[in-house]
Amino acid sequence: MIPIHTFRATVPRRCFAASASIRTYASQTPGNPMLEVFNRKTKRLQKERAAQNVEESRKVDYLKDEVARRLCERLLDIKREFPNVLDLGANSCNIARALTTPDLDLAAPEGQSTPPLAERISKLTCVDTSRALLYRDEEMPFNKEINIHRELIPDLETLPYQPNTFDAVLSSLSIHWINDLPALLNQVNTMLKPDAPFIAAMFGGDTLYELRGSLQLADMERRGGVSPHVSPLADVKDVGSLLNRAGFKMLTVDVEDIVVEFPDTFALMQDLQAMGESNAILHREAGPLSREVLLANEAIYRSLHMEEGAPGIPATFRLIYMIGWKEDKNQPQPLERGSGEMNLSELLGGGDFQKP
Amino acid sequence: MPTKTRPVEKFARATAQCSVQAAAYGKCVVTDYNSVHKDMCAKEFMKLKDCVLAASKKG
Repeated sequence: MIPIHTFRATVPRRCFAASASIRTYASQTPGNPMLEVFNRKTKRLQKERAAQNVEESRKVDYLKDEVARRLCERLLDIKREFPNVLDLGANSCNIARALTTPDLDLAAPEGQSTPPLAERISKLTCVDTSRALLYRDEEMPFNKEINIHRELIPDLETLPYQPNTFDAVLSSLSIHWINDLPALLNQVNTMLKPDAPFIAAMFGGDTLYELRGSLQLADMERRGGVSPHVSPLADVKDVGSLLNRAGFKMLTVDVEDIVVEFPDTFALMQDLQAMGESNAILHREAGPLSREVLLANEAIYRSLHMEEGAPGIPATFRLIYMIGWKEDKNQPQPLERGSGEMNLSELLGGGDFQKP
Repeated sequence: MPTKTRPVEKFARATAQCSVQAAAYGKCVVTDYNSVHKDMCAKEFMKLKDCVLAASKKG
């Protein structure tokens, strides 16, 4: 029997068109068409350039280190050994640094020290696209406390790993630069062993909303139009469905705001640049922002967001933390609806609102 | 690292000396930020710009 698709391929398309000229206004893109938002090359170069200035780059690691610590705190709750862990988009291996920090557990009773998480991890593979950033802290002492492997890959969106490889995949402040997040999450799900977690933190929706807004106003007033200066980010409410679509189970998504105070907008933008987190949108304007817009932005930002008497301007970073588990048949499942046998109000002793 | 001031740092310092003009310009834009159009606050901006230019010449 001839499979249907080979049969259809032999039918000349022409037979549908009356004349010899074929109008091709509804053509199908070959392969899997993908929406490109970010320029990957630009992003890699930004990270590379930022990390080449080692001193500056270390100075602005405050945010990435803090988020990596908070991410690893979530790993404390999983009482397991992890033989093989992947750090996806490692930046300067901030996660490795957090994993080797002792007493990460803030909830531990006082005086009782908790060992660093690195003791439960036999091998940590850190991947990123920028060599300068990935190998920046290679000589630092924390590298000796964890079995760390750095791997440079050309593209974070296609991962060169076999299915069922990792006991956990961690990712801190990297996947907000991914164009095709659903495809990446699919790959992560495949790479994980059954019943293994994916724990990630990324910038979300309202990150830098102050800067986004004031730059728009400055652009409008100075130049009469807007150009995107702050890259778009995924929203909290999308993350759950994204994970779900990729086949993750038992999802946890939560949000945290970190507000950082800067002396002025110039310092904020310099820090973003040194972090390698500047705008990398595909159709951005070439060249730097004009001084006029920068000046206007500084004035507008201050009058919109600076509180009376505050020494600096606030910048909000919204972090989305997500945990998803790869499916496994022995995994705990939620019970069916209506199968409960006990009234929760009896158990918890809650009362009715109408009671006096 | 040698202490070389980046142009943006010089610019930031100059801007910091013009907080009065900056506040005037900011206020002008922000009072009606739903209908901002080109050169809506051109007068205020020119004052701010002149001040920053003068300050950066001094410092």
